[in-house]
Amino acid sequence: MRFFVFCLFISTAAAQVKLPPYTKHTLPNGATLLLMPRAELPLTTVTAVFRGGAEADSVAGLASVTAELLERGTATKSTEQIALAFDSLGATLGTRANDSTLTIASEFLSRDSERALPLLAELANQPTFPEDEVKKVLAQYLDAARAVRDNPQAAAGTAYRRFFYGPSHPSARPVRGDESSLPKITRAMIQQYQRRMLVGRNLTVIAIGNFTPTELLPRLTTAFGSLPAGEAYTPIADPGVARGTKPRLLLVDKPDATQTYFFIGQPGIQRGHPDQVPLQLVNTLFGGRFTSMLNDELRVNTGLTYGANCRLDLNRLTGGIVISSFTKTETTVRTIDLALDLLKKLNATGVTADGLKSGKAYTKGLFPADRLETNEQLTQVLSELELYGLKRGEIDDLFSKIDSVTVERANLAAKAHYRTDGLVFVLLGNAAKIRDAVKKYAADITEMPIARIGLEP
Amino acid sequence: MFRFLAVAWLASAILPAQNLAMKKHVLANGMTVIIHEDHDIPNVALYFFYKVGSRNEKPGTTGVSHFFEHMMFNGAKKYGPKQFDIVMENNGGRNNGYTSRDVTVYQDWFAKPALGLIIDMEADRIRDLAFDPKLVESERGVVYSERRLSVDNSPEGALDEQLWAAAYTAHTYQWSPIGWPSDIEGWTMADLKEHFSMGYAPNNCILVVSGDVTEAEALALAKKHLEPIPRRAGPPPVRTKEPEQKGERRVVLNRAAELPQQMIAFHVPATAHADTPAIELMTTVLAQGRSSRLEQRLVEREQLALTVQAGTNESIDPGLWTFYVQPRAGIETAQTEQALFSELERAGRTLVSDEELRKAKSQFLANFYRQMKTLGGKAGLIGGFEVYHGDAARLNDYASRIEKLTAADLQRVAKAYLTSQNRTVATLVPTKE
Repeated sequence: MRFFVFCLFISTAAAQVKLPPYTKHTLPNGATLLLMPRAELPLTTVTAVFRGGAEADSVAGLASVTAELLERGTATKSTEQIALAFDSLGATLGTRANDSTLTIASEFLSRDSERALPLLAELANQPTFPEDEVKKVLAQYLDAARAVRDNPQAAAGTAYRRFFYGPSHPSARPVRGDESSLPKITRAMIQQYQRRMLVGRNLTVIAIGNFTPTELLPRLTTAFGSLPAGEAYTPIADPGVARGTKPRLLLVDKPDATQTYFFIGQPGIQRGHPDQVPLQLVNTLFGGRFTSMLNDELRVNTGLTYGANCRLDLNRLTGGIVISSFTKTETTVRTIDLALDLLKKLNATGVTADGLKSGKAYTKGLFPADRLETNEQLTQVLSELELYGLKRGEIDDLFSKIDSVTVERANLAAKAHYRTDGLVFVLLGNAAKIRDAVKKYAADITEMPIARIGLEP
Repeated sequence: MFRFLAVAWLASAILPAQNLAMKKHVLANGMTVIIHEDHDIPNVALYFFYKVGSRNEKPGTTGVSHFFEHMMFNGAKKYGPKQFDIVMENNGGRNNGYTSRDVTVYQDWFAKPALGLIIDMEADRIRDLAFDPKLVESERGVVYSERRLSVDNSPEGALDEQLWAAAYTAHTYQWSPIGWPSDIEGWTMADLKEHFSMGYAPNNCILVVSGDVTEAEALALAKKHLEPIPRRAGPPPVRTKEPEQKGERRVVLNRAAELPQQMIAFHVPATAHADTPAIELMTTVLAQGRSSRLEQRLVEREQLALTVQAGTNESIDPGLWTFYVQPRAGIETAQTEQALFSELERAGRTLVSDEELRKAKSQFLANFYRQMKTLGGKAGLIGGFEVYHGDAARLNDYASRIEKLTAADLQRVAKAYLTSQNRTVATLVPTKE
């Protein structure tokens, strides 16, 4: 593989793309239905989105475990019968939680909606959480949490979230739980989560695919109208992310590692922040594409790594701006130094007019394929519009918002957010070989063995 | 000259058939061009399949195909170093590439006005690739970093490498496309040049254009930019055939890890062989979805494993049918393999039920059509069928081949291939750090 996913100027003022039309309906129990018919493959994707997700966890992993168990026993069906019902239709079934939602999703052949929809609603409405299944799922989750330590990149990511946000921040909690949280989850907590969160006022059902709305709407209404209305979940207030007065560094020791994985984070923004579009363009140029400053220097010019990037979090809660890469143990300091030089340079001199023009063309050119091509992508778009309370102008006016960003505006945003003070470093690698050399990045250093990831109280 | 491929509409008992309309042309220099028009979004996926991969390599230069894939982005005559990526991104495009044992594939995704420009850049690097010694050295570091990421520091990657090394004793499938570390350190400029002249003949390439284009404009651009590149001898045939395996092989990998893992592989014929649909459908019965036999037994009922997966790789020469098991904490691999072997033995001994067969067909075909959701997915399918089944049009009769399969067909392939004598077992045994 060349890399993981993620001058000449020929013409191309890309025409504004529009979100395909959809209709919105409200059921008596408060549930919202969004229907977007599309004439593509004969498939329909239906996703029930319940607000809250892991954010509403009393213990880390509760929403994920609850979601998993929705597929494992209802008033009329066992785990095997549920799996058989969906597999027999060639339908997919996914029940999962993320930071802010719990979703039940299925993609089935459009002609099977009459059979698939009642099944889907039954999972939300009549789960029984059998004792033996609860025990089994918790044990599997515990093993999976342990196995995270066999994947250094994933382990470093887990350590990063906790160290960057601080242990009590909602974004620090592992969505699938860890070895200290999972043993605390009980069947009663799972039942309580389901009763409180899987209710009509907390639900948006998104149906996208090759269907006739007049046929599908009554079926969706029957299936999801039977959920109790309940109470809408009130999202927690954004705790924000404070910039430290001094840099901090966490060193995770994996003695057999031959390369160092590193993250360099700082406070970012939340979705809808006035600087969002300028920052998205700046981040594309700094670390969001192959020719970005980071990848160009750390991979193309120096061959120090297979890839280097910078991520700008865009969630409801304020997130981070995070540089990440990896390099062989011996070149750890050289690589981090280069990344820091680039950050400093971005802050001091910003992006160029040509660069910005290229970033705009790149973003607009790939937008349809990245966001509007498949039913899953469109489901994600509609879900975000609902969750963040945005209008369709978020998509339909995006290109004019992009076009209106000037170099001055972009560089003001870059200067304000891409800073070199109060950085948070997380490194995973062979500590004995890099411990002394990385002391220069922060006076405040914490060290832990990889075996302790997921075990902190 | 061009050839029009008549499209056949399928009458399907199970699913409405999805026919992928395409037109195939062969340029004067032997390059195959297949065009699929789709006007859903204003974008294009352009895939170049070169039929050269690690199967065409020799000991001493393993991994050179993959290294070459990287070098293809480092400048040619008209578009110098970095220009391929810079120009592509300036014009609303992105690219990637991958190298397998059989092929090296270059993928471009972009906004449709850039079509002519992208084809021009692709032609430039096939015709006049530059070989800058400085860039060779820096790219060597990149590739080594990729190896550390995907093999040396990844239990799955390291185990997979050992599995193939043990399963093949003669054929070049025995090494992984990333190459052995000593070879990554040792490639020379001469190795690279030799590989380029061998593998990158236009007559060894299939171009797939999928997206918001017309057949006429795509073909005209291909003729303008690609057809003038002269035809050359392609890679020499890979003569060595893997001898029949005459007994179980076992390989153990000791390394620091939390949980053991196991990969178990059986030799099967090349993808173009008539048994492929039955092998794929049997794989679905065994391991697709929670209701599958292996999931039900190993994960759900006996709770021996965290994960069970199965699959075959598309391959030009006879390949492997592989099963992957991650045991639960405290469970020995001896227990998981016993349960796995007993299910594989049952598959060869008894017929699957009508209900199981129907379910597997629905699952398989729905998943097959799911690959057609994106322009890139369609380009990948079209190119894959052209390379591995010998004709992209076979994509449109694959569903009917699956539907015709009987329980006896599935039993026959299980019995023929899932035998202890044809088996290689690779086990990762955790050591404490």
